Amino acid sequence: MGAFAAILRKDLRLESRGGESTITLVALSLLILVVMVFALNPAGGAGDAGTAAGALWVALIFSGTIGATRVLTAESANGCLRALLLSPADRATLYCAKMVAAFIFMTVAEAAAVVIMVLFFNMDFDIRLARLAPVLALGALGFAALATLLAAISGRVRAGDLLLPLLAVPLFVPALIAGVKASGSALAGEPLSAFSEWLKILIAFDVLFLSAGYLLFEHVIGED
Amino acid sequence: MSRNTINSLGLLTLVLMVAALFMVFVYVPTEAVQGIVQRIFYFHVPCAWVAFAAFALVAISGIFYLWLGQQVWDDLGYAAAESGMVFCTLVLVTGSIWARPIWGAWWTWDSRLTTTLILWLLYCGYLMLRAMADDTPQVARFAAVVGIVAAADVPIIIVSVRLWRTIHPAVLVTRQGTHGLEDPRMVATLLVSMAAFTALFAWLLMLRFATLRTRTRLSLLARELGRTRAAVGDL
Repeated sequence: MGAFAAILRKDLRLESRGGESTITLVALSLLILVVMVFALNPAGGAGDAGTAAGALWVALIFSGTIGATRVLTAESANGCLRALLLSPADRATLYCAKMVAAFIFMTVAEAAAVVIMVLFFNMDFDIRLARLAPVLALGALGFAALATLLAAISGRVRAGDLLLPLLAVPLFVPALIAGVKASGSALAGEPLSAFSEWLKILIAFDVLFLSAGYLLFEHVIGED
Repeated sequence: MSRNTINSLGLLTLVLMVAALFMVFVYVPTEAVQGIVQRIFYFHVPCAWVAFAAFALVAISGIFYLWLGQQVWDDLGYAAAESGMVFCTLVLVTGSIWARPIWGAWWTWDSRLTTTLILWLLYCGYLMLRAMADDTPQVARFAAVVGIVAAADVPIIIVSVRLWRTIHPAVLVTRQGTHGLEDPRMVATLLVSMAAFTALFAWLLMLRFATLRTRTRLSLLARELGRTRAAVGDL
């Protein structure tokens, strides 16, 4: 637990001094929402709940891919990764710390994306956003779990930046379907019980990929 | 894997495939509602079965590779993924050819179609990884991990996509629990086709596997040769 907290604290302090990841992710989310508005030309209001939900999840996938890559590549400079691997902290702990860091950066970007979405799609700051929160949190957690594991692979492969989305997006499909549907319901003003089936799928996805990452990370992490 | 085993498997595939073709085009009666198009079903279903079996094989060999660390499991997983990709592509192609006259569309976002498409994309990612990481020594570990998480993801993909939407005909096990093949000749044809495609897959798998085994042996020999040369140079 000590090692976990230490690695996470280091990542968060690094971020609070430079802010590189979060600022990039927030800017990217803003840009994606602008692109989606141009591409889909929504009328705005609750009638466009489905479109808005889709735009949010596209932003989540892009920001997640970059966020997970950032938390691992940040270590490649100055042999930091070697130092981490030599330290007594085991690889599963390293995975958890990196995954939580990626999750936090994604959550910040998502929160900004939600605010931007409310403005661009002419919605209201009301109870609907509170119902949206657990859906987005579960989605971000699942994507962070998946992408942190895969980023350890893609970071060590030639042209790995291209590989990460090719591997991560098809694997993320079940959470994407569930997330878009649940977010659409939440933004349309339906109660939590209306999309509990989708929340269950999101939870199952998160449990699966958190355990997969925890068990398999030691096989893929390393340095060349 | 001896050359004789592979050759006899090839011969068995040939015999079964000729029998299956005869049954599909001559023996089996034409389906009453859909007409001649329905005959593609006898190729479509075996391809789907083989594609899913190959996918399971990729995951199983991945688990064994991480557990035992023997190169043979990695070679098996690679061979299974490559052969499985061929059949997964065939499922999508034959399905599209059937769907155009029957559903009036090449593609619909039905649950089984979507699941198969995602499976195909996962195969794509796996093979891209193998191609791009070919010069990385840890490629076998990476591939094993991706193969395992992809297979673990399949049940959730199936559940989520089924909740999403479905219109695919349930032929083998209908909602009433019976199967939709009325004529016993249809069942016989399907079984022979299944056997033929399973043999074809096994044969392709063996051919690919034997090639990969040879490649592994070759790289070991090359490494040994390099060591010997270095030792001789030291003298």
